[in-house]
Amino acid sequence: MKLFAIKESAGMALRSIRSNLGRSLLTTLGVLIGAGSLIALTALGNGASKAVEESLQSLGANLLIVYSGQPRGTALVRRNTSNIVPTLSENDLEAIRELGYVTMAAPESSLNAQAKYENRNASITIIGTDHNYPLVRNYYPVYGEFFSESDVDTRRAVVVLGSKAAADLIGPDIDPIGERVRVNGQPFTVVGVMQSKGNDTTDNQAFVPISTFLRSLSGGSKYAAINVQAADMAIMREAQSAIEAELLRLHGLPSMDAADFYIANQLDVLGAAQGTAGTFTLLLGGIAAISLIVGGIGIMNIMLVSVTERTREIGVRMALGAKPGDVLLQFLVEAVILSVSGGVLGIAAGVAAAWAFSRFGGMAVAVSADAVLLAFMFSLVTGLFFGGYPAFRASRLDPIEALRYE
Amino acid sequence: MDQPVIDLRDIKRHYIMGPTTVRAVDGVTLSIVTGEFVSIIGPSGSGKSSLMNIIGCLDTPTEGSYHINGETVQGLSRGRLAEIRNREIGFVFQSFNLLPRLSALENVELPLVYAGIAARQRREQAMEMLAKVGLDGREKHLPAELSGGQRQRVAIARALASRPSVLLADEPTGALDQKTGVEIIEMFHTLNAEGSTIVLVTHDMNIARQARRVVRVLDGLVVSDGPAEDAA
Ligand SMILES: Nc1ncnc2c1ncn2[C@@H]1O[C@H](COP(=O)(O)OP(=O)(O)OP(=O)(O)O)[C@@H](O)[C@H]1O
Ligand SMILES: [Mg+2]
Repeated sequence: MKLFAIKESAGMALRSIRSNLGRSLLTTLGVLIGAGSLIALTALGNGASKAVEESLQSLGANLLIVYSGQPRGTALVRRNTSNIVPTLSENDLEAIRELGYVTMAAPESSLNAQAKYENRNASITIIGTDHNYPLVRNYYPVYGEFFSESDVDTRRAVVVLGSKAAADLIGPDIDPIGERVRVNGQPFTVVGVMQSKGNDTTDNQAFVPISTFLRSLSGGSKYAAINVQAADMAIMREAQSAIEAELLRLHGLPSMDAADFYIANQLDVLGAAQGTAGTFTLLLGGIAAISLIVGGIGIMNIMLVSVTERTREIGVRMALGAKPGDVLLQFLVEAVILSVSGGVLGIAAGVAAAWAFSRFGGMAVAVSADAVLLAFMFSLVTGLFFGGYPAFRASRLDPIEALRYE
Repeated sequence: MDQPVIDLRDIKRHYIMGPTTVRAVDGVTLSIVTGEFVSIIGPSGSGKSSLMNIIGCLDTPTEGSYHINGETVQGLSRGRLAEIRNREIGFVFQSFNLLPRLSALENVELPLVYAGIAARQRREQAMEMLAKVGLDGREKHLPAELSGGQRQRVAIARALASRPSVLLADEPTGALDQKTGVEIIEMFHTLNAEGSTIVLVTHDMNIARQARRVVRVLDGLVVSDGPAEDAA
């Protein structure tokens, strides 16, 4: 019976919407824009958050970086190690490698250097590390190979160039493998070229064995940083604590307050970045929700006008036996149809906009099923809520007064 | 047959207009049994429409008691009143009151929609009613595509659709020309001959005289009630 009544009301509502198509479309526009922007904006927010996550993952899985010196924020990304006073020893590195939570560790020190090939010069960042670096940082040569453990042990003068460094120095016409370049006057043989990471700072680096680096470029015996790969994402906190405890013991220090090193944890950076992206998504979603509400008010406005315009119709229907509930249902269903069709069109428009953002704007987008469901539910609730009052007004009309209405 | 369809006892309808009170209906007692054809006649402003609206359960009396088929009308919920309008009463208005965006057939179907009758069956019933008022072939026409007389026939078909106990018509010929008016009145007589109970409000003494019973109203009061021959 109730279902029958809803079906009848839907029929009446569709008829009324069709007979006033232009106005109906304008009415749904508010909800359409609201739902559309909800989808498009949260797609942007989610896309940004996914992009951050992916770019962090691309630094290396389960990455922890032990830095020399005092903590400076959670700078995991592109922390330049060239101006750090190194405090981490080979002994520290060995101890970290022995820890149960750790699968791998690679030392890292760097300096800004002048590189020279024949008559060409380039300013590059020289990184001293060992053969574990590609695995720990998820960063591999595309050409030639990375230097080996024995290269490190024997302090060979070999270098792996970043993609930009290779292009600037040697260019595309010459096979770089076996070529000799000078770094701060010292000769090195090129053994590999790294993949491009798509950012100039990273691609403008060059890698040499840490032993060679310390002996002939920087002097000293300590590392600026140690890259550590934890065994699992889930135990990164434990790994961090274990490394902290071990290094404090080795350095003879009482607590992290006095420490001459600190650890940047991928989780922290990820958390911070995702937090920002989350706030962003929430904010955009909020704006979209507000415009949905504004759309709802538009629907309420039109429905109130419609109830007034159709007072006589309501009177006739009541005279023929429409109960207050029938009239309520008729107008409520009409508002819900307007609002939900606005919502559905808006979802389609939002998905299309998100696609256009990524296709033509090169932006990272991710349309989530949650957002689609949210937009749909929101438009449904908007219709029920803002259509409720006009429908209630219609149902409270007095039959004889409604019939007399001019 | 003993129990009247319409039973009004001392019905009053007063409109409070600021300091003055308009006594549109001021104590009417009237009882109508199944199969009757009653004309209500009286000068303009005498309270005929006010009375009809009360009989049709569109309006509620200020005072008095009203029974329809034995059921007390006072104090009923809006929902129950709607049911009574739907099942017991067929109302024909002077200004037709067809819904302009619905076809003739759909207009006739309306009371059946609210009676909860399924689409197929109500379509059949509505077609039957339209045929009865001589409008077969005009089912798809919108009211605007029909003549005044045809519109009123649609309205009559609609009033008859749910097979009500009583057909109420408030000046159904008021908006029609003489000839069409006569046709409509003839239709009421035919319907009455077929068993419908009819209450007809009119200005026109010639029309009123055709009824078997004429009720004269003046200033909200019944001044005479009897066979047509007695009404002068
Ligand atoms: N809604 C209303 N508010 C106030 N007064 C009203 C209202 N409806 C009717 N009246 C008054 O009640 C009296 C009776 O009106 P009613 O419409 O019943 O007369 P009527 O006999 O139908 O007249 P007519 O033949 O012109 O249709 C009139 O004086 C009218 O002014
Ligand atoms: Mg009148």
